[in-house]
Amino acid sequence: MTEVVTARRPTAMIADDEPLLRESLTRLLAQTWPELEVVAQARNGRAAVESFEAQHPDICFLDVHMPGLSGIEAARFIGRRAHVVFVTAYDQYAVQAFDQGALDYLVKPVELSRLMDTVARLKERLRATPEIPDTAALLDQLAARVFKNAAPTSLRWLRVSVGQALRLVSADEIDFLRSEDKYTLVAWHDPAGQPAEGLVRTPLKELINQLDAEQFVQVHRSVVVNLRAIKQVLRGHNETANIHLKYRADVLPVSRTFLHHFRMM
Amino acid sequence: MTFIDATPIRHDLARVFHWRRMKVMLITCFLLHLPILATWQASYAVLVGRVLFIGCVVLLAFGLFERSPIHLPAWISRWALQVFAVAVAVPISTAIAYAITTIGDPAHWWQNQNRMFGFSIMTALGLLVSPWIAVAALLRQIKDEAHKLALTFELARSEYDRNALDARLRLLQAQVAPHFLFNTLANVRELVSTGSPRAAPVLESLIAYLRAAVPRLNQPSSTMGQELELVQAYLDVMQMRMPDRLQFSVEADDDARTLVCPPMTLLTLVENAMRHGIDPTEEGGRIDVRVTIINGRGHAEVRDTGMGLARGSEGLGTGLANLRERLQLAFDGDAHVTLSEISPHGVRAEIDFPARKDAP
Repeated sequence: MTEVVTARRPTAMIADDEPLLRESLTRLLAQTWPELEVVAQARNGRAAVESFEAQHPDICFLDVHMPGLSGIEAARFIGRRAHVVFVTAYDQYAVQAFDQGALDYLVKPVELSRLMDTVARLKERLRATPEIPDTAALLDQLAARVFKNAAPTSLRWLRVSVGQALRLVSADEIDFLRSEDKYTLVAWHDPAGQPAEGLVRTPLKELINQLDAEQFVQVHRSVVVNLRAIKQVLRGHNETANIHLKYRADVLPVSRTFLHHFRMM
Repeated sequence: MTFIDATPIRHDLARVFHWRRMKVMLITCFLLHLPILATWQASYAVLVGRVLFIGCVVLLAFGLFERSPIHLPAWISRWALQVFAVAVAVPISTAIAYAITTIGDPAHWWQNQNRMFGFSIMTALGLLVSPWIAVAALLRQIKDEAHKLALTFELARSEYDRNALDARLRLLQAQVAPHFLFNTLANVRELVSTGSPRAAPVLESLIAYLRAAVPRLNQPSSTMGQELELVQAYLDVMQMRMPDRLQFSVEADDDARTLVCPPMTLLTLVENAMRHGIDPTEEGGRIDVRVTIINGRGHAEVRDTGMGLARGSEGLGTGLANLRERLQLAFDGDAHVTLSEISPHGVRAEIDFPARKDAP
């Protein structure tokens, strides 16, 4: 073993939804940068962000096209806390966008010579600049090019704290949101239908404006419900109603002010 | 083929007194007034006036029954009605012509022997000639109409050919999917680099997919058997790429394999299911392909347990619209594509098409 100058080996995460391609990049990195330690592999964007929060690697290799949360969206969450290298198969829009900006990228299948350039650049950056440039504006441009058809003007993902852990929750999975002082309680279900809860730092009043108004409806002064999560609405006496949900036993009361959402069509 | 004529009445009048018809009428009037002129005793202007009046009324009668009444009882044909109207118009218009030109005379025109003689001559000549001219005009019209119809058919045919060509060209462009190809090659390279025994079968599938996809683009038709092989190869490749996220089955009745269909019929649906159903979901899902013959008609079904129509439908339109167009052209409109949401989530795409066997 040669003596390593730095106290700590640089760390990396690889996110790709295709397992062979994760293995491929891991193997190529082992050849070109033996000191680099791949501390995490993620199979989608959500897992990438969650692994990042747990491990805080120095470098993130993110596939642009991943199910659920894309590589670009994951990069937004990671922000300036790590060096991001995008990986994409032939995609002219993405490559055009990369070529204009300061974003690092690799094209699949990854060529060894190209990877060596990237590795050299990353080593330089890790050594020289402690400051990571802010790429938020570039990411917005990139997202606009790559996902031309999608219009993610509304909030699609929430960063929810569950105890010490941070979870990424898709807007579609949310059952309801309830205001709790400065925080908002998020009640959601995972793909298997298991209910879960966590907190978001943003007040409910601010969240409402960012969520898709077609999908999320305020039913009470302190409660916003996802219309897709509703099993049925039962009307009671005297202009009241209760909402029963698909994935949990909670019953949400509808206050008179918001009852008009559930009038007979 | 039906022609819907929405010409306003104004244009109808212009048509009735079209110059071509006026010319025929004027020439006829001129020729008919010659024999009458030989025995004519009154002023020449009166003769010309009467003959022209009769000509105009007869022409009007011909034109009037060309369009109205719009709906004729089945037992009357329009041409007969028109010829009959022309014949009836001759004595009536002659009588009116005489009545108008003799206003102010103490005696009625029919009491004057000369006038009665003139009336008889004009009516006789008119009746003798005008129905024949009407028949000739009708014949000419039928010939024109047939010519126009032939031109319309010609136009429709060339349009059809062009549409077929367009559909094939668009298919060609859609099929060149470098994203698929490079991603797949990256996977294959990893298998080869690590000396995996899976490398060879996956390469076989990729080759089968490419061989099936590339040269057949120019062929007008394919069979369900070929389509199923193509779909199998495609799904094999995709499963190599995402083994944890894709399960699939491909099934078909033996006699359904020989059914004729446009190339890429099944693959379009399977690619849609992959791209819009399975690929956007983190957990993945199943794709089930099945081709059967039900009540003498072909039935192809592609089910996926993916995203469903609501969210994953961005860009769903083009591939499907393209497929609908190709089926339309191949089966003369006798094929139907339906998409439906299935519970708890996913999409079922079905094609119902005529069961035509491959020609030997």
